[in-house]
Amino acid sequence: MATNPAQQLERNARLMELLARTALKDQRAFAELYRMTSPHLYAVALRILRDSPAAEEILQESFVNVWHHAGSYVAARSQPLTWLTSIVRNRCLDQLRRREVETVTVDDEEEGVTIAAEGPTPLEMLLAGADARAVKDCVDALDAGQKQAIALAFFHGLSHAELSQYLRQPLGTVKSWVRRGLERLRVCLDRAGVTR
Amino acid sequence: MNLTDPERADAVAGEYVLGTLRGQARARFERLAHGDRRLSDAVHRWEERLLPLAEALRPVAPPSRVWVAILQRIRGKTETRAQSSPWSRVGSWRALALASLAAAFVLAVAVLMPAHERPQGTLVVVLAGQDTKPALIASVDRGGRSLTVKAIAPVALAADRALELWMLPDTGNPRSLGLVSAVAPTGIARITLPAAAEQALQNIPALAISLEPASGSPTGLPTGPVLYSGPVQRLY
Repeated sequence: MATNPAQQLERNARLMELLARTALKDQRAFAELYRMTSPHLYAVALRILRDSPAAEEILQESFVNVWHHAGSYVAARSQPLTWLTSIVRNRCLDQLRRREVETVTVDDEEEGVTIAAEGPTPLEMLLAGADARAVKDCVDALDAGQKQAIALAFFHGLSHAELSQYLRQPLGTVKSWVRRGLERLRVCLDRAGVTR
Repeated sequence: MNLTDPERADAVAGEYVLGTLRGQARARFERLAHGDRRLSDAVHRWEERLLPLAEALRPVAPPSRVWVAILQRIRGKTETRAQSSPWSRVGSWRALALASLAAAFVLAVAVLMPAHERPQGTLVVVLAGQDTKPALIASVDRGGRSLTVKAIAPVALAADRALELWMLPDTGNPRSLGLVSAVAPTGIARITLPAAAEQALQNIPALAISLEPASGSPTGLPTGPVLYSGPVQRLY
């Protein structure tokens, strides 16, 4: 979305204003908020759900939710896009959870995990995202396995079991990659001042 | 799940935000974090750390029907009577499917009509309201630059409001074709298409009409309720 820090600040200020006006039921502001953020949020949902009707449904639900609850956004607490992304991601992950519950009795012979090969790999995206936040060093510092497991879980919503299958590693191994990777990211990002 | 140890709790919060906390554990953690300031703060910090990474994704414009469905849902609550309409839940999908049945019926009738009364278009759109009853027919003349909208059922319109016609592309936002208020209550409206719109119409799956302020939508997106919509049918 925004490419440099100045643009990012300007965009965030605008998004905060639009959220505030949306809380007052200003439909024009809501339309602009949708225009500015929906392509980003739709991309997030598409990656995780790998199914466009489901992603459309989640996007629709999320924005209806934003319309009704924009007032609960606290500008001092989170960046506007982070807040919106968390709404969409939580709904996506909930849906994955429901799918798992529905299929759990059926598959003994699990289907392989397939991930669309087009576009940058999750790993490249992880690094690109890190770039934008000047925390490339933190992501770079992770071991290869940690980086890959975290990128696949984050962008594609893979569970531990799916990671193990996709990366052809024992479940215990990918679990510890994720756990240690997150821990190292936390320490590094906090030191870099990303978290307040 | 033992969350009394702060380090352990923080690690679980990280897996929750990353998405690897799944199944029952996810639901349970969510419930706990809801009423626990320490846990919800931990989740919050993880969101600040991880979610900006999502900005690396290449944006994808959602289909325009998503915005139309959102509008229907948020306006449906405030403007129409509180009947629990099934449309509000399924969005515009179902409406489009049913409208296309209606369209098939109307087209079948059209073909049976005497030649000089048939719609002479290459494109025909039957626009139906939420009751799925056809209310308007839009057609583009063969090779022509004009689009005609004809009311086939009475269309109510307050004096200070306008009806705006929109193209609903498969990706990206609705695009205005202009105001068609002249169809109310039982008239005909004609729009001269800019060349670009004429060409764009060839790949548009559906049209919709929204209720707008007298001078049309101020935002470039539909702002009023979507009153009518229908799939584009191609006649050759």
